[in-house]
Amino acid sequence: MSTTTETEIPLRQRVAENPQPALIWAAVGAVLIGVELGAILQVVGAVAGVVVNLLPGDPGASAVQSLQAAFDAVPTLVSRDVIPNQGYWNGTGYENTFLGLSPAVAWVIRVAFVYAYAFAVLAWAWNGYTRFRRHYRRVDWTPRDDVVNRFRGHSWGKFGLIIVITFVVMAVFAPALGPTTMERNILQPYDYEVTYWSEDTQSTETVLVGEANLGSGSQGAGDENVAPLTYDDYGRFHPFGTATNGKDLFTQVVFGARISLTIAVVAMGIAGLIGLGLAMITAYYKGLADLATVLVSDSVQALPVIMVLILMLVIFQNTWVRELYDGAVLIILIFSVVYWPFIWRSIRGPALQVSEEDWIDAAKSFGQTPTQVMRKHMAPYVFSYMLIYASLSLGGIIISVAGLSYLGLGITAPTPEWGRLIANGQQYVASPSWHISLVPGLLITLVVTGLNAFGDGIRDAIDPQADTGDEAAATGGGA
Amino acid sequence: MSRWQYFLRRVLMSIPVVIFGTTITFALIRLGPLDPVSAILGTQYNPQAAEQIRTNLGLNQPLWSQYLDFMYELFTFQLGQSWVIAPGTTAYELIEIYAPRTIWLGFWSVLIALFVGIPLGFYAGLNPNTPSDYVASFGGIVWRAMPNFWLAIMLVTALSQLGTWTNGLFTWQTWIVRTNVVTPPALGFFQSPVEQFLADPGGWTESFIRATKQIAPAALVLGSASMGNEMRIGRTAVLETINSNYVETARAKGVSGRSLVWKHIFRNALIPLVPIITGEAFLLLGGSVFVETVFAINGLGWLFFNAAINGDLPLIGTLMFIFILILVGTNILQDFLYTIIDPRVGYDG
Repeated sequence: MSTTTETEIPLRQRVAENPQPALIWAAVGAVLIGVELGAILQVVGAVAGVVVNLLPGDPGASAVQSLQAAFDAVPTLVSRDVIPNQGYWNGTGYENTFLGLSPAVAWVIRVAFVYAYAFAVLAWAWNGYTRFRRHYRRVDWTPRDDVVNRFRGHSWGKFGLIIVITFVVMAVFAPALGPTTMERNILQPYDYEVTYWSEDTQSTETVLVGEANLGSGSQGAGDENVAPLTYDDYGRFHPFGTATNGKDLFTQVVFGARISLTIAVVAMGIAGLIGLGLAMITAYYKGLADLATVLVSDSVQALPVIMVLILMLVIFQNTWVRELYDGAVLIILIFSVVYWPFIWRSIRGPALQVSEEDWIDAAKSFGQTPTQVMRKHMAPYVFSYMLIYASLSLGGIIISVAGLSYLGLGITAPTPEWGRLIANGQQYVASPSWHISLVPGLLITLVVTGLNAFGDGIRDAIDPQADTGDEAAATGGGA
Repeated sequence: MSRWQYFLRRVLMSIPVVIFGTTITFALIRLGPLDPVSAILGTQYNPQAAEQIRTNLGLNQPLWSQYLDFMYELFTFQLGQSWVIAPGTTAYELIEIYAPRTIWLGFWSVLIALFVGIPLGFYAGLNPNTPSDYVASFGGIVWRAMPNFWLAIMLVTALSQLGTWTNGLFTWQTWIVRTNVVTPPALGFFQSPVEQFLADPGGWTESFIRATKQIAPAALVLGSASMGNEMRIGRTAVLETINSNYVETARAKGVSGRSLVWKHIFRNALIPLVPIITGEAFLLLGGSVFVETVFAINGLGWLFFNAAINGDLPLIGTLMFIFILILVGTNILQDFLYTIIDPRVGYDG
């Protein structure tokens, strides 16, 4: 099969012949990754901890713990410790904040810094791709270049991409973005203390975070409300105000972004794998396999999605699966089961078309196994169609998860979730505490609009003539 | 294959789909980790009552015979009864009570979506890349991205506060007829409408308007996603038809502008809208749970949700079967419309 031609020089050799662009790129990358090394190692440590927990007998638990401790010691540039905002007024100036600035300003600087860093990393990755294209790629042009160029000329799609990136960064850097931490403000408020300046005694005092929360809830009335961009009575800054129970809304919103996006992406990934696998099998073997899948997928599609979600969440309410990550694992599984028929439907046509191509016959007569043919010669052509459909459906999942949580069936406390926040503030929408319901709802609208725009961009880039297919599915069954 | 053969094949295919869908429901309810009996009894669990219910529901029988019974009873429309939320009431009675409100809600949400979404989309398509096109398109996209339940909450607040905001110039509650913002529609006028109308035309009209006004905000929210879809697809469809050869030909042979729009563009642009309109059935059923919860309309979605959280599994099985029938029925309707509207159906496969 492989006849080495002159053009097929391995990438390593091509880089060695002209090392300068690659070296510059690698050096910038080393700096960018180096300043975040601590955070990356912490993630590795956390993953190792989860793996050890899952293994029977917890082998090497102590080793992992000492490893995590060592990783925690590695400094990180984009972190709360570098630009702290949780200080207090001592009568003459701020203590424990970044450069002695007010907590609000320190927080704004940190958020700006996080986003600057994230966009720098993305610019670096994009630069790597263009360098590869210019200096190291064997061919001058591939069909994928056209896709990339079409997307670059699609301003609506780029608008979507920027919004999506904004939310992804929010999810990834959630711990660094909040004005306070999950642990301190939401999970264990009675294990931490907050120091504040008391006007009555004209001195600094300390109080448990939990008690401070009780005194700074937003429940409608003027003195019982902490509006967005204000401080509460304990000198804590709240960019989005507080929830009814006094917990910081912004912290909950960024962690809510984390759970929503994770569920949407993972569920769509699993559903996509099932759909793609089945599409390969049905397109390759046709006949009975195809008919059986048509029947099963039509039956699943004939069920009302939201009703099935509600029913399944009720049926599994007291099981161990429901407890995993406050229900996220179960919700991901349910969405994968419910969504694969839609994916399979959307790529069945293209898959059948590809299977009729001459090169499939050629591959077969060369003696390639069915799995090889499907993986190497069919899947790559169908994958882009799946991408279109999946990107257009992500918004629907986010809305559905929020809706289920609003009904009290989705993600349960203590993990923050947008739909639960909306339910939390529902009775105060007409009062000064309007922010509790309004902000999460606006964010959902924004991220779903962004995802849809991004999906439109991908669709137009991959296949300008593509039929949008099933639009209804993309809106999450009406939640 | 002729069009009608194709249609017949689609109808025949829907039979196994209904059977399979109902089987999935059975599997969820009877094989899932939630025991129907303890779900029904909840905290008042005692072995005697449990045994009683078990016998009543036929849960002592082997699984295959339970399955056959379940399927037989549903397909012969012996729909059983509620066990928790209205013990002893038959499913028929419950549906008779709750369904009219949902149908009323669904009717108006389809109508509002159709009469706002399609004209806006066609207008945007006929005037592409103008400021009004951008406003309409962007508005439609954002409108469609809003979660129904959140939009409902915001609308309820806005309508309740309208009097305060406008200093009492306009209050929703007193506009035309007096109603509450959050309320189930009074559908009394629906029973024997002809006699009632003849007996008291004014009163009947007023109750009709009242019920419509009561349902309007909820219908607007429930139709929001479909409205956005219809606008988008309508716009694309018009754009595609405008640039097609036959419209060019018609224009060249001197067809007047009005006739061009209505006969050549409008009719052909409707074709891709058919699946969007029939697809609304899915959005309406799912969305009814949320919208009915926020607007306190006790309809089918509300009934299903309450049956689910209270563990009324027998009733849920019945409702699910009804929903499957509705959705499969809409799919058949869609194929039927296609067969009538688009003569090309069936020729390619």
